[in-house]
Amino acid sequence: MTRPRLRLVGGVCAGFAEHTGVPLSTVRLVTVLLSFCGGFGALLYAWLWVTVPSGAAAVDPLPKSSLARSPVASPASAEPVQAAAALPGSDATNGRSGFARADGDSARAAPVTEILLGLALLAAGSALVASRLGADIPLAVVVPAIVVLAGTALAWRQFADIRSGAAQQSSALLVRILGALVLVAVGILLFFVTGTNPNAWTVILAAASVLLGVAVVTAPWLLRLWSDLADERAARAREAERADIAAHLHDSVLQTLALIQQKAGPHSDAARLARAQERELREWLFTGSRAAGAEPATDLAAALRRIAGEIEADFAVHFEVVTVGAGVGVRSAASTDSSSMDAPESLVAAAREAMLNAARHAGGAVSVYLETGARGIELSVTDRGPGFRLDQIPEDRLGVRESILGRMRRAGGTAAVRPGPGGAGTEILLTLPAATAPVTDEHHTETSVR
Amino acid sequence: MTDQNPIDRAATEPSAASAGLRVLIVDDHSIFRSGLRAELEADITVLGEAATVDEAIARVIDLQPRVVLLDVHLPGGHGGGGAEVIREAAPRAPNTLFLALSVSDAADDVVSVIRAGARGYITKSASGAEVSEAARRVSEGDAVFSPRLAGFVLDAFGAVAGETAETTEELDRLSARETEVMRLIARGYSYKEVASTLFIAAKTVETHVSAVLRKLQLSSRHELTAWALERKLL
Repeated sequence: MTRPRLRLVGGVCAGFAEHTGVPLSTVRLVTVLLSFCGGFGALLYAWLWVTVPSGAAAVDPLPKSSLARSPVASPASAEPVQAAAALPGSDATNGRSGFARADGDSARAAPVTEILLGLALLAAGSALVASRLGADIPLAVVVPAIVVLAGTALAWRQFADIRSGAAQQSSALLVRILGALVLVAVGILLFFVTGTNPNAWTVILAAASVLLGVAVVTAPWLLRLWSDLADERAARAREAERADIAAHLHDSVLQTLALIQQKAGPHSDAARLARAQERELREWLFTGSRAAGAEPATDLAAALRRIAGEIEADFAVHFEVVTVGAGVGVRSAASTDSSSMDAPESLVAAAREAMLNAARHAGGAVSVYLETGARGIELSVTDRGPGFRLDQIPEDRLGVRESILGRMRRAGGTAAVRPGPGGAGTEILLTLPAATAPVTDEHHTETSVR
Repeated sequence: MTDQNPIDRAATEPSAASAGLRVLIVDDHSIFRSGLRAELEADITVLGEAATVDEAIARVIDLQPRVVLLDVHLPGGHGGGGAEVIREAAPRAPNTLFLALSVSDAADDVVSVIRAGARGYITKSASGAEVSEAARRVSEGDAVFSPRLAGFVLDAFGAVAGETAETTEELDRLSARETEVMRLIARGYSYKEVASTLFIAAKTVETHVSAVLRKLQLSSRHELTAWALERKLL
């Protein structure tokens, strides 16, 4: 049985009606009628409200203007309370005053305290009114009942505080909880001590009552604690399962993909596909395990890896990207803040062009090395291709000359094209000194060069 | 083995020592094991394979291979993976050297096997020829650094931030020359290419790399011990 989200008061009647199939109006009528039988219906309602879980996440009900009521239990103010209690919607008024509390997170826990205090108030009021009307009121029963209700309310609030992790001294909190529980116990005892002359049976009954009282106070809390624990366990199980899957994928699938690349050779389609899949999977595994962190899109190293992935998808090339040093962001071309360590976008664009060049003319294994240190940013792209010399490139080939050299010059850095290690292949070295005031790249020339 | 005196010949002719290089492949995936076995060059003899930590320890002690190609992540044992194999088996196989192979680039994986005693670390995307070359290099007593491991070393020892060791005894920092060598390896240079770029002998490059490996294993630098502690290696 759960309480629906759309509810008039606490959703208890609606929930009960849905659960049993009895018409809603009948349930409501019976509840109201029961409320007249010594308040049994109202108490039952409150009990169910507390214990039955909400059908979904607690949503703030429609904001209703609260009925401002003074909790002072003077005989004068008790009379209107009694009048309200006589109405069918008696507990509704109590409930509303609870909702009116601007309690942020515990919309459900808050009204319970109010309701219980309200019920205590109601009991006091009705007792007084009845005694005025001349009825024989057993004060020995009513007074303890008020104490019990007030005690339960206090206890409830303490438990709610504990569960929401309110920053309070735990010892002080404990004392108050014990106080509340003692209040309940004393109240129940009073039923019997102030009642008829005590004998063995009443004592046993009293003891049982005390236990019952404590149980009544703590049961909802224990139930909640239990369900919280179960939730936490489920969450932990899910997390462990995810880690298992990740480990398994890491070990088996990544290995297989590595093997395919090895067997197929760097220039084949199979290797290219396997590499793309491996990259994707690695990215997923990596970002999955690291929830928090800097935005990957604005990190220079991440930008290089992304470019490598994009180019690998189109060319038979494998980039080994090694990055060293502190993380460096990428500053957009529009930004004029040149004092930051961030790399300008033009560096990324130049690196992309260099990598594309290596993929197009050399292919195979290409090393990309990024070092960010006190001296500035150093980026090298080394391939093992046929190699080329700048002076051999026709004047109309703007790829290297403009997109790499020109771009770096405008950014305040340098670019060098030279033969790779051992005289084979090509190495393009981009450097950007640390304390530089780069000239902002003009975007229209960039695009025309490309 | 037709060698009459393998130890003497190994001392005089390094190439002959590698001719009969005896290796053990430890990996929990049979596909990878058989793939690697087929890829390895002809002069490398695969003595056997192992799939778990316990199996690997037993095989290493039993077969006494020269080089163990060791996966970092392995099931079994006390959950220590490749590092556990090295710690358990190395004392009882004094002539065995370990080369770590992994798909992982995570720093703590690298640190755990290197600090346990592996002589090198390469990624599984390396080709059969590269693995063969690395195994041969390890068998000759050299250290094997992949570009990634070199980059990691530069980071962990603060070389990029400009920290350099004053003396060769200092374990927590790299010397200027070691930094240069590491930087070139991180750029994808082979040892030979590093040597020609820096105008030094190839043997000198190997000396530098071995020195860096020793620092990686013995240094108490915070970045290394933090990872090691995480893996309960200290």
